[in-house]
Amino acid sequence: MKLRILLADDHEIVRRGLCSLLQKREGWEVCGEASDGREAVEMARQLKPDVVIVDIGMPYLNGLDTTRQLLQLDPNFKVIVLTITDSDQVIREALDAGARGFVLKSDAARDLVAAVEALQSKRMFFTPRVNDLVLAGFLEKGHAISRTQPPDLPTLTAREREVTQLLAEGKSSKEVAVLLNLSTKTVETHRSNIMRKLSLHSIRDLVVYAIKNNIIQIQMPPQLRSTAETTIA
Amino acid sequence: MAVRILLVDDHPIVRQGLRTLLEGRPGWEVVGEASDGIEALDKVDVLEPDVVVLDVTMPRMNGLEACRQIQRKRKTSLEVLFVTQHDSPQMMREALDAGARGYVVKSNAARDLLEAVEAVSQHRVFTALARSPNASC
Repeated sequence: MKLRILLADDHEIVRRGLCSLLQKREGWEVCGEASDGREAVEMARQLKPDVVIVDIGMPYLNGLDTTRQLLQLDPNFKVIVLTITDSDQVIREALDAGARGFVLKSDAARDLVAAVEALQSKRMFFTPRVNDLVLAGFLEKGHAISRTQPPDLPTLTAREREVTQLLAEGKSSKEVAVLLNLSTKTVETHRSNIMRKLSLHSIRDLVVYAIKNNIIQIQMPPQLRSTAETTIA
Repeated sequence: MAVRILLVDDHPIVRQGLRTLLEGRPGWEVVGEASDGIEALDKVDVLEPDVVVLDVTMPRMNGLEACRQIQRKRKTSLEVLFVTQHDSPQMMREALDAGARGYVVKSNAARDLLEAVEAVSQHRVFTALARSPNASC
């Protein structure tokens, strides 16, 4: 029986590269492709893949929250997180979300096949830096790395995190309501609760919070001749 | 028309995706790959491609600087096309000022890349930001 893999990345060109890499393996099949986290959750519900590969920096629902929702849907889903950074915080959040694999995008051509093989054999796959962090946590605390929420995140519900991401991406309450199939009033209530819980006072504060907590990711361009600018990836 | 293409991006998986897309076009050939600006300059000298598909953000030497240096040394009718994550008019202007003939956003590369390579290989300008509904050519 074929190993069925679902890919979730907002860049079609990346998905093409991943497909090309994975489908070279005999017995592996890319059964679906999603371009954002919400689509990934829906496709996983329908397709029941053996492995789900999710990019962290996706619109509408980032890869970390996608992983959480996938595992709420079915704790047996095996999720590999693809990321552009292996900062301590991202590693902790990926582990906390329940990912069993963690692969840097820059190393995907080298590591992804090994990661899928590991999950296929009911093992986990992490970069050396993740292994170091887990080991350090074990040695320092006498137990493995904490699977509790990071300090900045404990008060938000899953729905509030979704709303936070969409607002931070620049969507209005009305647009969020349409996307999440909620009333505008309900979204406004979520928005007020989020601002109150996090002691934020403006959308600008919310965007900063979302960036700081990897709810959305940014990429800094090289210094331009005129002025530097930031784009939300 | 035969087009010889050099791919420059620091992520091999992105280069693989670009390659599968470009090589689907009869007559087009990916003659080489580079993972940063410095390697790109070396390969431009050796491979003499018609089109360099160049990322902006790369280690060692970014795409803008590589593009400027390619323009300074180029002896052929080579053209540069940026394929980047930066969906920004300012970055696009900077790329064109550096001598590029085309600018495509990575999120729309699957939609725009073939048309862009065709345009720049014929020395026409092609630019398309993700937020713009239509590419300009």
